[in-house]
Amino acid sequence: MELEPISAHHCLSWSLRSIGKIFVASLFCLLLPLPAFCSEKPAAEAEKISPEAAKFFEERIRPILAESCYKCHGEEKQKGELRVDGLATLLLGGESTLPAIVPGSPDESLLIEAIRYESYEMPPNGKLKEEQIEDFVKWVEMGAPWPGAHSADHPVAQRKEKITDEDRDFWSFQPIAHPAVPKIPSQELNRRGIDPTWPKNDIDAFILEKQFEVGLTPAPVAEKLTLLRRAKYDLTGLPPTPEEMEEFLADDSDDAYERLIDRLLASPQYGERWARHWLDIVRYAESDGFNQDAYRPNAWHYRDYVIKSFNEDKPYDQFVREQLAGDELAPDDLDALAATGFLRAGIYEYNQRDIKNHWSEILNEMTDVTADVFLGLGMGCARCHDHKFDPLLQKDYYQLQSFFSGVYGVDDYPLATEEELTTYREALAVWEEKTADIQAKIDELETAQLEKSDKASIIKFTPDLQAMYFKAPEDRTAYEHQMADLIHRQVLDGRNKVKSKFASTLKGEKLEQWKTLKAELAKFDKEKPKPLPTARVIQEVLPKAPQTVIPGARASEPVEPGFLAVMQGDRFPEYLTSPGKITPLPQSTGRRSRLAEWITQEEHPLTTRVIVNRLWQCHFGTGLVATTSDFGRLGEPPSHPELLDWLARKFVEDGWSLKAMHRRMMTSATYRQTALRVDVALAEELDPANRLLWKQPIRRLDAEQIRDTMLIASGELRQEFGGPSVSVATPRRSVYLQIKRNRRDYFLEVFDWPDGLTSTAKRNTTTTANQALLMINGDYVLGRAKKMAERLLKEKDRSSAERIDLAYRLLWGRAASPQEIAATEGFLEKQQTLATDQDKSELTAWTDFCHVLLNSNAFLYCD
Amino acid sequence: MKLPAPNAFPSPEEAQAITRRDMLLKGGGAFGGLALSFLLGQDDFARKLLAKESHTGEQAASPAMGDSPLAPKPTHFPAKAKNVIFLFMEGGPSHIDLFDPKPALEKLHGKPQPESFGKVLLAMGEQNAPIMASPRKWKRHGKGGVWVSDWLPEIATCADDISVIRSCWSNGLNHAGGVCQMVTGSTLAGRPSLGSWVTYGLGTENQSLPAFVVMNTGGRTPVNGVRNWGTGFMPALYQGTPFQSGPTPIRDLETPSMISAEQQEAKLTFLDQLNREHQISREAQTELDARIRSYELAFRMQAEAPEAVELSEETEKTKQLYGMDQKATAEFGQQCLLARRLVERGVRFVQLFHGAGSRWDSHSGLEKRHAELCQSMDKPVAGLLKDLKQRGLLDETLVVWGGEFGRTPMSEKGDGRDHNPYGFTMFMAGAGIQGGRMLGATDEIGLHAIEDRLHVHDFHATILHLLGLDHMRVVYNHKGRPERPTLNEGEAYHKIVG
Repeated sequence: MELEPISAHHCLSWSLRSIGKIFVASLFCLLLPLPAFCSEKPAAEAEKISPEAAKFFEERIRPILAESCYKCHGEEKQKGELRVDGLATLLLGGESTLPAIVPGSPDESLLIEAIRYESYEMPPNGKLKEEQIEDFVKWVEMGAPWPGAHSADHPVAQRKEKITDEDRDFWSFQPIAHPAVPKIPSQELNRRGIDPTWPKNDIDAFILEKQFEVGLTPAPVAEKLTLLRRAKYDLTGLPPTPEEMEEFLADDSDDAYERLIDRLLASPQYGERWARHWLDIVRYAESDGFNQDAYRPNAWHYRDYVIKSFNEDKPYDQFVREQLAGDELAPDDLDALAATGFLRAGIYEYNQRDIKNHWSEILNEMTDVTADVFLGLGMGCARCHDHKFDPLLQKDYYQLQSFFSGVYGVDDYPLATEEELTTYREALAVWEEKTADIQAKIDELETAQLEKSDKASIIKFTPDLQAMYFKAPEDRTAYEHQMADLIHRQVLDGRNKVKSKFASTLKGEKLEQWKTLKAELAKFDKEKPKPLPTARVIQEVLPKAPQTVIPGARASEPVEPGFLAVMQGDRFPEYLTSPGKITPLPQSTGRRSRLAEWITQEEHPLTTRVIVNRLWQCHFGTGLVATTSDFGRLGEPPSHPELLDWLARKFVEDGWSLKAMHRRMMTSATYRQTALRVDVALAEELDPANRLLWKQPIRRLDAEQIRDTMLIASGELRQEFGGPSVSVATPRRSVYLQIKRNRRDYFLEVFDWPDGLTSTAKRNTTTTANQALLMINGDYVLGRAKKMAERLLKEKDRSSAERIDLAYRLLWGRAASPQEIAATEGFLEKQQTLATDQDKSELTAWTDFCHVLLNSNAFLYCD
Repeated sequence: MKLPAPNAFPSPEEAQAITRRDMLLKGGGAFGGLALSFLLGQDDFARKLLAKESHTGEQAASPAMGDSPLAPKPTHFPAKAKNVIFLFMEGGPSHIDLFDPKPALEKLHGKPQPESFGKVLLAMGEQNAPIMASPRKWKRHGKGGVWVSDWLPEIATCADDISVIRSCWSNGLNHAGGVCQMVTGSTLAGRPSLGSWVTYGLGTENQSLPAFVVMNTGGRTPVNGVRNWGTGFMPALYQGTPFQSGPTPIRDLETPSMISAEQQEAKLTFLDQLNREHQISREAQTELDARIRSYELAFRMQAEAPEAVELSEETEKTKQLYGMDQKATAEFGQQCLLARRLVERGVRFVQLFHGAGSRWDSHSGLEKRHAELCQSMDKPVAGLLKDLKQRGLLDETLVVWGGEFGRTPMSEKGDGRDHNPYGFTMFMAGAGIQGGRMLGATDEIGLHAIEDRLHVHDFHATILHLLGLDHMRVVYNHKGRPERPTLNEGEAYHKIVG
């Protein structure tokens, strides 16, 4: 709809000041809904203002507007979609959708609020003088007289319709189609000189159809060992073992490859590999990320949950629901609780006193990551204004955020069954009783200092926050609970600091006394029950949700949960367009459950397209939509829209099974194509970006694949599953390494490890001199080379040539050619003579050889 | 059929390949253009060569300028400076004790902060702490009469070369947010640092040295760690390289001592042999060649970087100028001297963290802490300004001084001051900026910036402007957003850029 420039409110206020003709017009405004009527008439009349008012405006108001405001809110720029060089646009307001001035009511006028620096701070480079502000107040009180308003400047100010038909027609917001599989007759294949046995499944028909449209043909299937290496790295992140190579080469059966894929999908290493892809997307890390960057020792439960989910082939819809609302949907399911660690992986600042703002940041972060991960939409822009390119409104953003408004983070939720919990509590009670006397005496010594610390912590917050903290918990609103929790975290932090250095604060007799008591207490340690494992989870406290409001839009209504405006209309069932009435749970708003239900509807236009496209990217180098987390206008449209929809439909048919989708993609002939196609001239001419998949792209191993393979080749890798994260010195798979946001491991970082701060949809792949230096001079790689050499030299039953061959197999995934063996033998001989320590010349030479292989392209890239 | 149109803002996610034919045309034969690139970019870097428009919306760099993503790129308008040296006083130096004298504090000393200046949120929350006057002695210096306190006698002698901006403000109440914003524009982690943006926007003139170098005092890491020179969502090739002290400035630069030169050479020859063999059936795969070249480049760095940090060729007089002959100033003096040597060699952006690890933070005992830090910083900074000037380098180098925030006029713990992001001082020198000036102003007590308020975004826009870049035209597309270095905010400070 088109909104006319003057709001009903405005008409009303004018009407109070004018008589006669205007009255008629104003009356219409009162009776009718906003548009259409309160238009030019009153505006035209508005020009009849008193000479005094006009003088006041021209002398006191217009010059200041021109001097301080027009630059950003005038003809050239309209920051915040606001222009202030005419009355109409002032009454229309900016992106907050509220009028900038309400004639007659300075206290309701955002412009006045802004120049008083009460909400916006305008002008930003220095507050106006007090008397100037007073002039503006007076001007608004006078009814904001603006000589010649409307007729001269902007006869009709219009707010653009926010969502247009064109927006609604954008491809990613269309219902998912039911495309038929293209028919590719075998004569067609023959005619184009393609082996009629080339296509393996329906995916190939979609691919061939597009290739034929431009006159391209597919590449032949890759060699067996190439396929093995590609598939193994893709599904498990690990290199094929020499035994696997033998076995696969020896298997002549028709379905040898299909069985290989099944075997790899069934291996537990599959979950370790694919969890890592997911962890990239959900910005997983194990530290707070601010100054202290405190480590989160129990964050790994979420990582293990993800690994387990992939290995169990948990239906994706369930996987999504658990991460968004496991606590609401399955409160007794410990896995589902650990899943909510997804919402807890964001940043946190332990000493931030501005906790109201910090809480907004935390909620913003949850909102952003949810849109990135599940919807493939970058909604960050809409946090501050309607999206400039995509049909995403600021209101959409806060509606999405309101689903999270009730969250309450718990850092030490016991991951234990009721029974285990009871046993634990009973044992603890026994221990507490036995140690009660000692504890009381210790408390006596410690209490004063702890109380002092508490006081010091609490006083740092503003009085309103302190009041929330001291309010009885049963009287608190959900928001007050959230604020009180943030304060309490700082109180506890203060106490811990006191406790950690308590001994140093006591002297003489008291110190002795305290030490003795502590020693006595320690005697009971054996009787103290072992602490239960805990996880970082999301809980809620109350059924009533805290309000969500659009910042800066102070006077507007709170935002309620709602779905994207662009999806409104009758294309989708009502369940997808409106959350309806959300039924709260006893201690939870129930909002996140509803959000999760919305996202996991099979008719949701984004969810299934986004996830199958992410899988496609991992198997083919580029997604069918190349921008896997941006299904909006700045992203790219799908190269094969029908295939994308067909895959999305199949995905649901297969029970949202990721493993079935891997299998479908990887058993296609498209996937099996060689990367080393010879006849490329035409294809490179017609489709240089290989969007039509006329070959497989080669790919560089990623950071984890390089490190894990080195550890396998050196024989050091400890294949243990799950558990607390380990330091980089521990030879376990990289998915188990500790992830500290401010202290990233150099090796992984240099090879483009994501930063764990925002969702990473696709890793960068760089080729840098730092990588070369690290690989050729770095201790870590050199150390692995040495271990690998030692391992090879231990193979006493093998000849030198056989050991060389083994090394190539371990790192290159194929046997060494006779020429390569001969060249290597020559190299080993030379290195032996060059070795500085002649006693270890053999080890040195073999280390050099392994080190060279670790630096070689045949290792670092996969065909 | 219609293939997806190339995006207006190319980004790494938008894969487009390149044909060998195009490579040969572009590179002038046999990957010649690529061979000279410093870091050879992404596996799909090559498509950038084909992109009709570069990130800045200008024509793509000509082959003569090299095809690396780090090849020098045209500016949007004539630049005032080629390089930046950013002297980051980490922890928050007290502007009202260094550059912004406030006589009103004398009268208010010991009294509560007058309500009229507005209540502010404090990091340490000592809500009713009394005002603390500055015990410093103040004098106006140079022809311009710039106020500098007696804590900075050496910088005072450069008063006519510096433009003191006394109206900076930011949003970071704590160190983490403050440093993050001063470095990346946002208080929240995840965005590229300014040095990365500059590297992305301008490339670098010396392909054998990193484009963006970082040094920290005391071997400590600044707040937020490596993120301070990180690239956030941009590829790692634009990130800062921390220089270590000693003869090998860059990590892993040297061949380990137990490996002889002949041994290493033989290894590299064998590696090259294996790689060439591997490439025969993959000649269209340009990334493989790029990796081979990355090793060659690494060796050029091995040769050039140690020379850049070799200070023996500097005269004693020069070293004294930087205070390298005195214990208190030796370390930072050396880093400042290194900074000069690096910009001399075409390094684009040098960032020095003085007091790394929030040493400037003075919640208590400000007198002692600041006195020491000022002493260790004053002479080296003055030395740098003078040395750059006498070598004619100051005109093409922008020197920036300041911290993540200033400090409050209210005391804390009796003899300290809390964080003050509401108003503080930074200074700029070089880049043709007229010195001897004091710009902007804080209120009477130095709490809020009130005149010519300059937000961090404005400050960054100003730096970019001096480098010839329009902050709104440096664009990197990421996840549906055209990202810009100042988050689409800010304006270059006209009194500085003219």
